[in-house]
Amino acid sequence: MALGLVLGSLLPAMALGSTAQAKDKVVFHVGILGEGVDSLNPFLGFQAPSYEMWGLTYDYLVGYSMTDMSPEPDLATKWKTSADGRTWTFTVRSGVKFSDGVPLTAKDVAYTYNRVLHGTVEQSNWLSYLTGVTSVTAPDDTTVVMKLKKPIATLPLLPIPIVPEHIWKNVSEKDIKSYAAEPSGGKPVVGSGPFRLVQGTADGSTFKFEANPDYWGGAPHLDEVIFQFYKNDDAAVQALIKGEIDFVEGITALEVKSLQGQPSITAHNGNSPGFDEIAFNAGSIDVKTGKPIGNPNPAVLDPKFRHALGYALDLPTLIKKVYQGGGLPGTTIVPPNYKAYHWEPPADQKFTFDLAKAGQLLDEAGYKKGSDGLRTLPDGSPIGTLRLAARSDSPTSLHTMDYFKQWLSDLGIKSDVSTYSSSQLTGVIYKGNFDAFQWGWYVEPDPDSMLSYMTCGQRNGSSDSWYCNKAYDKLYNKQHVSTDQTQREAEIKQMQEILYRDSPYLVTAYSSIGEAVRSDRFACLVPQPNPGGVWLEQYGVYNYIHMKPVSEASNCDSATAGGELSGAVKATSSSDSSSSTGPFLIGAGVVVVLLLVAGGITMMRRRTTVGDRE
Amino acid sequence: MSLVADPGLVSESEDVQTRTRGYASYLGLKVLGAIGSLMFMLVVNFFLFRVLPGDPARTLGRGRLTTDAQKAAFNKAYGLNQPLPEQFWTFLKNTAHGDLGISIQYRVPVSHLIWERLWPTVLLVGTSTILATVIGVYLGIRGAWKRGGRFDKISTSLSLTLYSMPEWWLGLMLIAGLGVGFWFVPGIFPTGGLHSPDVNPSSLHGILDTTWHLVLPVTTLTLAYLADYSLIMRSSLLDELGEDYLLTARAKGLRDVQVRNRHAVRNAMLPTTTIIALNIGFVVSGAITVETVFSIPGLGLLSIDALQAPDFWVLQGFFLVASAGVILANLVANLIYGWLDPRVRT
Repeated sequence: MALGLVLGSLLPAMALGSTAQAKDKVVFHVGILGEGVDSLNPFLGFQAPSYEMWGLTYDYLVGYSMTDMSPEPDLATKWKTSADGRTWTFTVRSGVKFSDGVPLTAKDVAYTYNRVLHGTVEQSNWLSYLTGVTSVTAPDDTTVVMKLKKPIATLPLLPIPIVPEHIWKNVSEKDIKSYAAEPSGGKPVVGSGPFRLVQGTADGSTFKFEANPDYWGGAPHLDEVIFQFYKNDDAAVQALIKGEIDFVEGITALEVKSLQGQPSITAHNGNSPGFDEIAFNAGSIDVKTGKPIGNPNPAVLDPKFRHALGYALDLPTLIKKVYQGGGLPGTTIVPPNYKAYHWEPPADQKFTFDLAKAGQLLDEAGYKKGSDGLRTLPDGSPIGTLRLAARSDSPTSLHTMDYFKQWLSDLGIKSDVSTYSSSQLTGVIYKGNFDAFQWGWYVEPDPDSMLSYMTCGQRNGSSDSWYCNKAYDKLYNKQHVSTDQTQREAEIKQMQEILYRDSPYLVTAYSSIGEAVRSDRFACLVPQPNPGGVWLEQYGVYNYIHMKPVSEASNCDSATAGGELSGAVKATSSSDSSSSTGPFLIGAGVVVVLLLVAGGITMMRRRTTVGDRE
Repeated sequence: MSLVADPGLVSESEDVQTRTRGYASYLGLKVLGAIGSLMFMLVVNFFLFRVLPGDPARTLGRGRLTTDAQKAAFNKAYGLNQPLPEQFWTFLKNTAHGDLGISIQYRVPVSHLIWERLWPTVLLVGTSTILATVIGVYLGIRGAWKRGGRFDKISTSLSLTLYSMPEWWLGLMLIAGLGVGFWFVPGIFPTGGLHSPDVNPSSLHGILDTTWHLVLPVTTLTLAYLADYSLIMRSSLLDELGEDYLLTARAKGLRDVQVRNRHAVRNAMLPTTTIIALNIGFVVSGAITVETVFSIPGLGLLSIDALQAPDFWVLQGFFLVASAGVILANLVANLIYGWLDPRVRT
């Protein structure tokens, strides 16, 4: 044990040595909370951090703008559609090289897409973006031609990482389901992205990326990016304060507030393109026979009942108390981040917290108060107790439902809140044994897939409210193949209006993600969407390429007009001093401990002898 | 077992023979029993996790597997579309070949995943168990020997206080105090992780760096485990103190230390040995709370993540390893007992 202590005391000195050596390198340490990287193989992973890893390693045919995530040139410099909307031709940038020196051509793009179209497990992650595509070819090195059965309105958004054919052709269909795509034998993963992964493994807690100096978009200003995954918020926040990490992603609004007081840290709640909702059982059925399953309360099956409850939600209070101020009151399933598609209810339709109005609407729909003060069904029988489900893995979920229960009781409706783990709740939802639950979604830059979850065909699929409305479905199918952008936007807004009226979901909040950065070290971070959005885990990896260490931050890249975190906050040297005094203090501490142990042992020996003599 | 005849009726050499044979068959039976338990666990593990609510394709693929075709492709690739009996057969066949399957969540072989997570857990929980044993047993002996004394009062109340503290809270306090620093005291230990991101964990620098990172989590766990050993050691030693053989030993003129170490402690060690053996078996089960607080990628965290999906293959693999650990530790404890104390064999 003494040996261990002595070795331990040597250690910080060595650590210091390595920092001194690495001083010239600009290393960006990112701490991420929540789920980790599930796979570095872009055909397999599902979790958000995995997308970040692929985004640094690979390129995409089409990118996302920083202002509103609309399509922007990436590997493709331009694209055009045929008059019937069934042929897309992309022009691929020339001169792009993979990190092993092999040129990236249109053939790699076609190979990647064909692997999805004709693959097995490759389909699971990406097929939805290529549904209806009949062929993808590369007639020459700079052209990709995509043929479709019918027009697809979501194109040209194609968030599929382009992998090198010369590497992946050796991965058989049998092997790909467990192919790790990790660095091996000291060789980084081959990709064309701004960084290359040199160290890290799926489910690991650290990932190290080195800049790709030959990146076609110009070498990044960082030499290395290191990701460290934390399972505990407090530890991550403390690591940021101490300077072990430069950025922390996924903290709570309260932690953001506390960090805003720190001089060398800038913290914010970035609006993320997601929402939370209270969802109702709008009609659980067996999709094969069409017969009802489960036991929903007849009240929640009625759109009028659900709509009336929209006036019983005090959303500003929820945001303040449950979300601690991080987030915005919600309206529809397409977040306002997507300006072109979001429908904002006009004042006369918009839910306000108005229990009198909710009561009046319930009365009109036949849910009148009985002699006991509780509301009854239109046929006069009691409503009974509504079963509200919350997720045990999310504190906001439980708190939201507790508030909801209170507001229901103010209206004369009894309810009970039960908690389930997410996977348990999924089982309950698919059996139809619930009246309402709290959950949320992230919405992609094109709202098509989110809109599809509310169609009849998704019942027992991705739909969790069992909502079905023929008029809505008709609009969905129409916008899905639309080639007229203005008309499509109008249709999507109309769909949101239908949902708002039928209220299978009562959208409670547009969520935000807490982020904080050591602004004494790094600058030039741009939010997406700009302004108001998030700094990391964006669509694309803009900030990793364009952010700069504070010493070089006098001129941030010009594309970043407005809203960015620019200019150097006064640099503090607190972290430096602690790291240089640290080793001395540890050494001193170890010596003191050793002395105490030795002294103690001597004392004990002496005392035993005294005892024996007696 | 009635293999051992009345010792009075057999000659010396026969007695030795019977004893050896007795131990051999005792050993055989115990090993067979352990293998039986392991087989039983194997079967239970499979069905236990299939009863869990939840569908991995729906939980993991929420918002990703949006069409039926995507879901089908996923389920087919990971064998989730097969009927249960067929899955069970595949599981038995693969386990017999040492193949624990592919993780549904991380898409890498389960054996690889468990192997990678095993050593952080063994380092963390194993070291803490050893430290807690040594320190706890020492505190127990000293406390009991001078029962009611100042040392006893302080050590008993201290270990009880530590025992009743939640591990995560203790961990967070240590992070706040020694990791971040307070007042004018600088933080000297890292706040989390197993080692710094840019070191090679098998180099000398890496080993020292890992030691440095493990100081706070190991301290937390050691403090939390301490009372387990110190209180049991203390009470079993107290039981021995009134025994006549101690008086005899003193009457022989042995010094106090000799009476304590050679006679009292040796007899009082038996209950503590049981606890140690059991806890060593549980080392591979990990320490979920401390692994969470210090973000140490151990088996405890792996099992929690797997439970959420649910990732059947990882859960099966993890429980196989964990139950094998306990069964093995028990087997070893039984064998040592049988060897130490012939009465146990019958």
